[in-house]
Amino acid sequence: MTSHVIEVENVDLKYVIRHGRATTLKEAAISAIKGINLDITVSALTDISFTVDRGEVLAIIGHNGAGKSSLLKLIARVLPPTSGVVKVNGSVAPMLELGAGFNPELSGEENLLLFGVLLGNRTKEMQSRIKDIAEWAGLTEHIKLPLRTYSTGMVARLGFAVATFQRSDVLIVDEILGVGDTEFQKKSKERMGQLIAGGEATILVSHDLKTVESLATKVLWLDHGKQIMLGGTAEVLDAYRKA
Amino acid sequence: MPNIYDSSARTNYFKELTTNLWDQRDLITLLVKRDLAVRYKRSVLGLLWTLINPLLTSLVLWMVFVQIFRAKLADGSQFAPYVLAGVLLMTFFNQAFMQATESIASGMGILQKVYVRPHVFAFASAISNSVNFILGLFALLVVTFLVDEGISLLAPLTVLVIFCMLGLTIGLSLMTSILFIRFDDSKNIVAIVLQLLFYLTPVFYPKDILSAPIRFIVSINPLSSYLDIFRFVFADTGKATLFDWVYMFSSSTIVLVLGLVIFKRAWAKSVVMM
Repeated sequence: MTSHVIEVENVDLKYVIRHGRATTLKEAAISAIKGINLDITVSALTDISFTVDRGEVLAIIGHNGAGKSSLLKLIARVLPPTSGVVKVNGSVAPMLELGAGFNPELSGEENLLLFGVLLGNRTKEMQSRIKDIAEWAGLTEHIKLPLRTYSTGMVARLGFAVATFQRSDVLIVDEILGVGDTEFQKKSKERMGQLIAGGEATILVSHDLKTVESLATKVLWLDHGKQIMLGGTAEVLDAYRKA
Repeated sequence: MPNIYDSSARTNYFKELTTNLWDQRDLITLLVKRDLAVRYKRSVLGLLWTLINPLLTSLVLWMVFVQIFRAKLADGSQFAPYVLAGVLLMTFFNQAFMQATESIASGMGILQKVYVRPHVFAFASAISNSVNFILGLFALLVVTFLVDEGISLLAPLTVLVIFCMLGLTIGLSLMTSILFIRFDDSKNIVAIVLQLLFYLTPVFYPKDILSAPIRFIVSINPLSSYLDIFRFVFADTGKATLFDWVYMFSSSTIVLVLGLVIFKRAWAKSVVMM
């Protein structure tokens, strides 16, 4: 058994884009008969390798389309790698786009319950935790109301709260540290600090280099799906800024 | 929950799936409850509606066939419970199949963010429809007594029909969900096939009135066997042959296994494609 919490070895991810037109059976059948292949294979990630240990914070930086989100999905088990190996030694709490997966018709409470159970908690466990989560997110008064009545900031707060109230070994954070007002931002950074200190391995995606500088212990720089640089925060950010 | 993930590990798919479904029992329960709550909370009559809806349907069908077409069943049994049994079972099949299929297609948003086996959604949808079917049985009970017929001592064996129907609908929905995700027009085609299947099942006609070639087509439709067995065990109307029993169990098992295998191969490609 390895001591690394996350181990990514020579990972490639290829995916197929269907040509815009072949979205119906009819067209697929016609192109099959004519022998036209409308599928285009794209490499989202090429030969990525890194490890993350307990208490480490890996920040992934790079331009849009560099493959950051795809890499997070590989670690969250949502996508399988085309080749190479992804090993995660522990449970994962994903925070990919806060509030994604919430149902606007259900109340805040019902969403918390459903999402928590979706992440692998028992129903009873979640029920006892709902009050605390709502209180922390400052949504105690709204928790019985349907989610469609919430503001964007409120939904994001709820999403942040449910993911961080989760006891897990790996925390995945995608571009979300800018949610809510200044007070909530402060609160969420504090919470992140606690989780990292508590031994969670964290993977962070952010365009905000200041956030990266203050939180990350190491940085992975991606460009067009390729690993440009992996190393200490200062070192990689320095090179990234010069590029 | 086993918390070690190794993308290169070779695991036994079926074993892993069974463990996963058991691990996710809370999620399935929650999804079923939500499904039922949405269905019954939003209607004024609530739970009563499950009773009234099939009663009214069978009343309409009874008027059309018995009063207008003067239909009679050869063995002298009553038309109303005969047709209601058919309607209930076909509704169960249609809704479990369609909702399970759509649950996966519409769950893509969540499935691309959080690691959950998509099967969980299909199981939950099918199970919640089996609950509806069971509630509908009370309506069938009422109609059966109204026409002075009794129910059979074998009625509890209806459970077997329900289990087989779950296997059949879940297996089918796993295959179809891949089509739904990839091709926009597949819904229309599936709708037509379902309609054809409805008319090729002896829901409101007895099999004896059919000509030999049509009767053959109807009898190779697995749903005919499910329906024959359901009518036989519930109220001892209709005949269920050994062939029907074998056909019901084997079609359910084969379709479920096939669905799981096909889904496994196609899912990885579909989820990457989006």
